[in-house]
Amino acid sequence: MDVEDDDAGVPTAVEYSYPERSFESESENRRPVGITVITGYLGSGKSTLVNYVLNAKHGKKIAVILNEFGEEIGVERAMINEGDEGALIEEWVELANGCVCCTVKHSLVQALEQLVQRKDRLDHILLETTGLANPAPLASILWLDEQLESAVILDAIITVVDARNIFKQLSEYKESSTFSEAFQQIVFADVIIVNKIDLVSSSDSGFLENLEKEIKAINSLATIIHSDHCQVDLAVILDKNAYNAVNTEHVVHFEKLLEDSKSSSANQGCHNKNVRTVCLCKDQQVDVNMVRLWLEDILWEKQGDMDVYRCKGILNVLNSDKLHTLQAVREIYDIVPTREWNKDENRTNKIVFIGHNLDEKILNDTFSTFNCQTKINEA
Amino acid sequence: GLPKIEPNSNLQSYVEIKTPDQIQRMRETSRIARKVLDAAARVIRPGITTDEIDDVVHKASIDAGAYPSPLNYHFFPKSCCTSVNEIICHGIPDARALEDGDIVNVDVTICYNGVHGDLNETYFVGNVDDSSKKLVRATYECLEKAISIVKPGVRFREIGEVINRHASMSGLTVVKSYCGHGIGELFHCAPNIPHYGKNKAVGIMKAGQTFTIEPMINMGTWHDRLWPDGWTAVTSDGKRSAQFEHTLLVTETGVEVLTARLPTSPDVYPWLKS
Repeated sequence: MDVEDDDAGVPTAVEYSYPERSFESESENRRPVGITVITGYLGSGKSTLVNYVLNAKHGKKIAVILNEFGEEIGVERAMINEGDEGALIEEWVELANGCVCCTVKHSLVQALEQLVQRKDRLDHILLETTGLANPAPLASILWLDEQLESAVILDAIITVVDARNIFKQLSEYKESSTFSEAFQQIVFADVIIVNKIDLVSSSDSGFLENLEKEIKAINSLATIIHSDHCQVDLAVILDKNAYNAVNTEHVVHFEKLLEDSKSSSANQGCHNKNVRTVCLCKDQQVDVNMVRLWLEDILWEKQGDMDVYRCKGILNVLNSDKLHTLQAVREIYDIVPTREWNKDENRTNKIVFIGHNLDEKILNDTFSTFNCQTKINEA
Repeated sequence: GLPKIEPNSNLQSYVEIKTPDQIQRMRETSRIARKVLDAAARVIRPGITTDEIDDVVHKASIDAGAYPSPLNYHFFPKSCCTSVNEIICHGIPDARALEDGDIVNVDVTICYNGVHGDLNETYFVGNVDDSSKKLVRATYECLEKAISIVKPGVRFREIGEVINRHASMSGLTVVKSYCGHGIGELFHCAPNIPHYGKNKAVGIMKAGQTFTIEPMINMGTWHDRLWPDGWTAVTSDGKRSAQFEHTLLVTETGVEVLTARLPTSPDVYPWLKS
């Protein structure tokens, strides 16, 4: 290459026009990056899934947060695969210091937002939890209000289950809690990956069926996938939009409720006698404010001493053409309008509760009173 | 330093109903906090530095036999927060002198007899332009309206709706990153009370609960940024922000403003003149 003559003189300045930058956060124009929480017992194949996500040539740029240190050290380690080349880079994400107590966003959320802003394109974030029994607290931290317009959004909670050992794990009890960790991980999952099916004897065809029934008895709302070595189609586990009310795909998650015409309640699994799934059905339209009051009574005031873990439903709301979805994780809940009802759809209300000490009679009776009462003026 | 009891307390997950003894202590402590804030308010004038205001707060707290809660809380270096103009909250007092036309928020929390009392007010420095006067008054009204709905049975998430409504009607925006909080033997505990609308705050107010409401209202965008000092929150467009805060007690029939203005409080708000 020819070298420019150094004596050519001072190069002329060329005006550079800076692209218009608004003061608003750059992320406003981008879709928020989905966060998937991955939980599961050690040895279930969780790490295989994580490795697969990081190394397979799937064309997506995904950051995996390895929750190794917890918050004490103040940093999280993230491994990110840089798209097509597949090179792995390591990033340190610092958790915010300062007054963490009166901030709306948990320091973990802030750290994830920083990560998204630093990278010019991130398709997804996986949060691998080590040793976490109950994903519910994480869900409440990550399930942000839409109003915050955050750069990140909770996408789904995925539990990896070891097909061979799950029955044993379900029956383990920790001294402090009534239910085993495996149980809690299944209850709060949106997607359950039943892994190591290759190790399950193929002649024992009833085994997997039984296992699925057992899992469904604990959590009838989750999608169940089978895999060996956690080779799953990423399209199936990512972008679930389980908590994203804005995205119309969110409703897909509730379609099962629409299709399933059974209104009976599922029976408990043989290991955990007190946990039940209760499904309520009602055709007539409901006043959404009454539903809120009713739900709050159950979730916050623990009406009838019922302990609800999860709740999902579709609502046929008075004076609205829109299908409303209802979602609750522990005490946090949200009712949002989504798409319009289709012409041939049966407009109905269907709510599924998963919890401990659920009383079907109380739930049914209180839910049925909506029809008769005239709208009560709120306090 | 880092609090040991606060982060792990179960008061972070459920809202405490205060005992009559705790309530009485909170009344006393909140009164002292009010007096300390008033002392700071009396020295606000062009030319005084925020450090000098901090000195006044510190001395007033110690003289009353109390401890200024912000001092060393998560390593915060001063005894109060002073937030000038576009600073939303948690401004750190320094050697900058207040200028004619500034607005400044002073946020005082003191710990006395084992409980905390937390309040803040935004003050005018010298002659302030009309838009700032409107901003400060509207913010005051946001808090006033929010307090007016407090009583047993009201949902915490309603607070955000009320504040948002009044701010929007005044052409202003609500800061979303910081929230009101429970207070008592802990500086910050449950409930979390967002100031924006459509939030998923959990819980229903009950008699005996004590918490703060502290709306931060902006002239421009609601987005905020954090300075490298890790504390100072600033509006992302540089426009001004105002804030007011009270510590409240839910009573059987309504609310008691524990940090309410006293007859001796300096007369700095024209709209309060009867």
